Parts: sequence; C-alpha cells; structure tokens
Amino acid sequence: MATASGGSEFVDKFPDEAAIVKASFLIAFVSLGIGAFFGLIQALHRTDVLRVIDSADYYTVLTGHGVLLAIVFTIFFLCGVFHWAIARSLDRPAESALFSWAWVGLMTTGTVLATVAILGGFVPNLGMSADVLFTFYAPLQAHPIFYIGLAMFIVGTWLSGADWFLSYRAWRQDHPDERIPLQTFMVLTTMIMWYISTLGVAVSVVFFLIPWSLGLIESVNPLLTRTLFWYFGHPIVYFWLMPAYLLWYTVLPKLAGGRLFSDPLARVVFLLFLLLSTPVGIHHQYLDPGIAEGFKFIAMTNTMFLLLPSLLTAFTVVASVEHGARQRGGKGYLRWLGALPWRDPAFTGMALAGAMFAAGGFSGMINAGMNINYLIHNTLWVPGHFHLTVGTAVALTMMAGSYWLVPQVTGTKLYSRPIGLLQVIMWFVGMVFMSNAMHRAGLAGIPRRTAEPQYQNFEFLTPIGSIFELRVQIALGGTLLFLSVVLFLFNILLTSLGEESDRPVDSYLPEPLSGPEGSPRILDNLAMWTGIAAVLVVLAYTLPLAGIIQNGGGLFGGGLPVPATVSAGFDLVMTTVTSAFNTLWGVVA
Amino acid sequence: MKLTKARALILIAFSVPIAIELRTVAGFFNVELPLIAVAVIEFLFLALLFVLYGLYGEGSESAA
Repeated sequence: MATASGGSEFVDKFPDEAAIVKASFLIAFVSLGIGAFFGLIQALHRTDVLRVIDSADYYTVLTGHGVLLAIVFTIFFLCGVFHWAIARSLDRPAESALFSWAWVGLMTTGTVLATVAILGGFVPNLGMSADVLFTFYAPLQAHPIFYIGLAMFIVGTWLSGADWFLSYRAWRQDHPDERIPLQTFMVLTTMIMWYISTLGVAVSVVFFLIPWSLGLIESVNPLLTRTLFWYFGHPIVYFWLMPAYLLWYTVLPKLAGGRLFSDPLARVVFLLFLLLSTPVGIHHQYLDPGIAEGFKFIAMTNTMFLLLPSLLTAFTVVASVEHGARQRGGKGYLRWLGALPWRDPAFTGMALAGAMFAAGGFSGMINAGMNINYLIHNTLWVPGHFHLTVGTAVALTMMAGSYWLVPQVTGTKLYSRPIGLLQVIMWFVGMVFMSNAMHRAGLAGIPRRTAEPQYQNFEFLTPIGSIFELRVQIALGGTLLFLSVVLFLFNILLTSLGEESDRPVDSYLPEPLSGPEGSPRILDNLAMWTGIAAVLVVLAYTLPLAGIIQNGGGLFGGGLPVPATVSAGFDLVMTTVTSAFNTLWGVVA
Repeated sequence: MKLTKARALILIAFSVPIAIELRTVAGFFNVELPLIAVAVIEFLFLALLFVLYGLYGEGSESAA
C-alpha cells in the first residue's frame, strides 16, 4: 500500500480533491439528517407511539428514508472516500478538476430532482409523487422526474468511476511495472462491479419506467422490471459495503495501532465480490412466480459463495486489529481487546460496526436460504437484517470514518472525541434495540412496509416476551438512532467550522505486514476479471430473463405487441443462446 | 487493567444485546425469564460496573 501524503496533510497537498470530497460529504450528511428524521417518524408511527403524519403519507416518508439513506447518503459518501483514496494512494491529483465537479453536479441535480418528486407526495394538489419505495419497480409508478433524477444520479456515478480510471491510467503510464496500490485496486474493482450491475437498473429506468411514466408506452412487464431492479439491487449492497471494507482493511488496522495483515488476501476478497455480487439478485425473488425454481436455486448457491469473502474479511481484519493491540502491549487470548484504543470514536465505531455486521451476516443467511426464506419473506425481519448491514456495518463505519477523514479534508481538528464516542455507542445500542425487535417481530409474522401493523380481532404471538415489548424496543431504538445522528452532525459541523490546524489528524497509513510482492500479478489483471464477471452474469441471467419476457407478455407486458425489429432481434439472440446452451450441455453431459 | 470511561461505555454497550437475548437463551432450556428479571440483572451489572469504576477507574487511588 502506498503511503502517500506522508508529511503533509491531504487538504494542503490536494486542495481541489479535498474540495470535491467535502462537497460529496456535505450532500451525504444533509441526506443523512433528513433520512434519519424520516426514520424516526416511521419508527414512532408504526409502533403507534406517536403519529404525526397521516398513515397514507407513511409511504412517502418510507420512500424518502430509503432513497435518501440507502442511495444518496451512502453513494455520495463513498464517492468522497474513493476520491480521497485514489488521490492519496496514487499520490496524484485528478486529471481534471472540472470533470470531477461535473459528476458531483450531475449527481446532485439528480438527487434534487428525485427528492422533489418524493416530497411532492406530501402535497396532493401538486400532482407529483414518488411513493414507490426504495425498490422502485413496477407496478408502482412514480412521477417521471423521479426516474429522470435517478438516471442522472447513476450516470453521475459512472462519470465518477471514469474520473478514477483516468487517474489510474495516467499513473500507470508513469509506473508501468508497479502493482496497483491497494486502495486504488479496491476502488477500481468496486467500480467495475458497479458498471456491470447498474446496467440492469439503467435498462429498467431508461427503456421501461421513464417511457411508462411519461405515457409513451401503456404498460410494462412488472416481473421484468423487478428482475432488472434486483439485478442491480443486490450488488448495490456490495457497493455500500466495499467502501466500508476499504476503511476496515486500510484504515482500521492503523487506528488499532498496527498494520494490515495481508494485502494479497484483501485483493482476493475484492475480486470475489466483483465476480459474485451480481449473479445473485434472484435470491430476492424466491416468492416471485414466473422464475423457475432451478434459477432460484442457482442464485442461492452463488449467494452462499459470497460468504467466503466476508469470512476472509473477518479473519484478515480481526488479525490486523489483534496485531495492533499487541503492538500496544496487549497480551493473552482475549485480554488484548482491552489494549485497543476504545477512546477513539473512529476506531470504536468501525469495530462496533464490524461486530454488528457479523450478526447481520447470520440473519442474511436465513434470507438467502430458499426454504427458510419463506418463513421471514416480506416480514419485519428483512428491515431488521439490512439495518444491521447497510444501517450499521456501512452507515456506522462511514460516520466513524468521518471522524478521521473530515479533519483531513478540512484541515481542522475533530471538535469532540467524547461526543463522537458517545455517538457511535449510542448508534450501537439503538440498533441493538431496534434490529433485535425487528427480527423477532418478523419471526412472529409482522409484515414490513405497513403503516399500521395493528389488526382488529388478530393478535401476533411471540414465543418469548410480548408484541408490546417489541414495539417499545423499536421506538426506543429508533429514537436513540436519531439522537445519534444529531450528535454526529453537530460534531461534524463544529469540526468543519473550527480553526485550521497544522496536523489535524495522524493520516499516515503504514505498509501491510504482507505486501503484494509475493502474490501473483494476475490479481491485478482487471480486464480478465471483468470478462469473467460478465460471463457469470450472462450465465446467471440470460435464461431467466428470456423466460420472463416470453412468459410475461413480452418486453412491455400485457401481451402488447413488441416492435417488429426488437422482436426479431430478440428471437435471434434467444435462438443463439438456447442453441449454444444445448450444445454446451451436450458436451458436458 | 485500568477501567477507563471508554472501556466502561463499551462494556455497557455489549451488555445490552446480552440482556435482550437473555430470555431467548433461557427459553432454550425451558426457563421462562420475566422481563423484570432481565431488568434487574442489567441493573445489577451496571451497579457492579459503577462500583468497579469507583475502585479501579480513571482517577481512583487504586488505579494510580
């Protein structure tokens, strides 16, 4: 791992890049504040503790919560982290500051358009709404502005990736024989995965949802838009997670007082995510009719393979942190835990996020298992799961990482470490209350996405405790989480307004214990890994998509005629693929 | 090992999921633990931690 920027602060060395990172963080944190407020409203509403909105507006709030947190906060933040990581690890500025501002501007414009469409749901006379939830597939329909905003946002992320690839290309010309610096390797593999996976949502939005919402086509094939959404909807989980992994691999060991255990293992993990993230989306559709069980089984198998990079990460990161603790004088089998820098909110937040991610991984295995998934499908278990993963492993890592990153791009010291420590612990405790209750409520059959899960003449039963306790837990947890966000934003705001310091934070990142020298250079062959990832996607999705289009009334659903040229082209592709598959099957058999 | 405020906070944080799941674990052994029992156990843990912090925490004579 390159140890660039040693001796001078990031903001002094790369002022233009620091400005881009600050702008990205600003939009991320504004979204976090609004999204968290919406989350509080939901938690209090559905538990019937406090209802300040009409239940019909619950879905507007839910959409705002999902889109602003799961798409805008996470992705803007990761764009800031990636921009920092590329400049730092390649030790060079971006090729064009104007181009960098272009993608920030495009993503921001897209965010504003989508948010306006969502908030329009509060004003019935406006004729504009987007109560389609985070999973914005048909048959729910939003105002065209929502889809256009999302399309601009996605294109903005593509341009951000192009920005980083241009930096890499320029660096490669100057360093033809060097290994790709680890942080750059992580950014590039993540972006390749993102390019592959966003093709699905791009096709869905541009060819189906926008024309449909504009009235240019009368109907769409709902299962096709669902499948294209989940083609992107599961890899986005790794688009959230991989920046968190970048921080766990390259920053957390340093904060613990040590060094990354293995650079090659980190590269293998990111390559596995590149290969396996996309051909698994159908595991979100176990209960969808119209997709043959065999394809669901394949998706389940691929999903279980994804446990491998997560377990490799658990080993590598914990080993690195233990190394740091022993460098600080820690001894014994477990006593070394006490030697870790628990006063540092950046370290403690990331460590707690990692611990919560383990729990999220276990509940994720339940989601991924075809048979046991039926027990919890569309229940409150599912939000309980993803509040542990994106809601804690990712969000808490991002907030904790901010305590180390923001001073680097502002040149000011963190306003308060004690407030930061209290904030990350409050998030952990709040999420324990809320997520635990959501999981247990899901096992009791309580549905998700419901404003009032209280029914007349029907009582949900829990094996232990009562529904009332679960409701109190959710409301209490949601309140603690909101307060935690308020503390975070307060701390970051006062940090950015503070006086400039010569050395706001120790930004030096040490070399890994085991560097890339001994690992095969094929790990850095990004073109080859991209090709393999594309082949896996083709294998996993071609036949299911063909079946969905053929059996679901065509590309546009409803049995409507498909334009002759499209139909002829599609038939040609189908015939070729089926014939190739039969030939291959014959050879294998 | 000195019990710092940060370590005490971490111990409190990790006691919450243990307390919440205590009844589930007890249920595996057909022990029906009432909510009040869990609250009392958590309270006793916090009281013990408070005492230990007084004895061995930052600024205490024992710690020095």
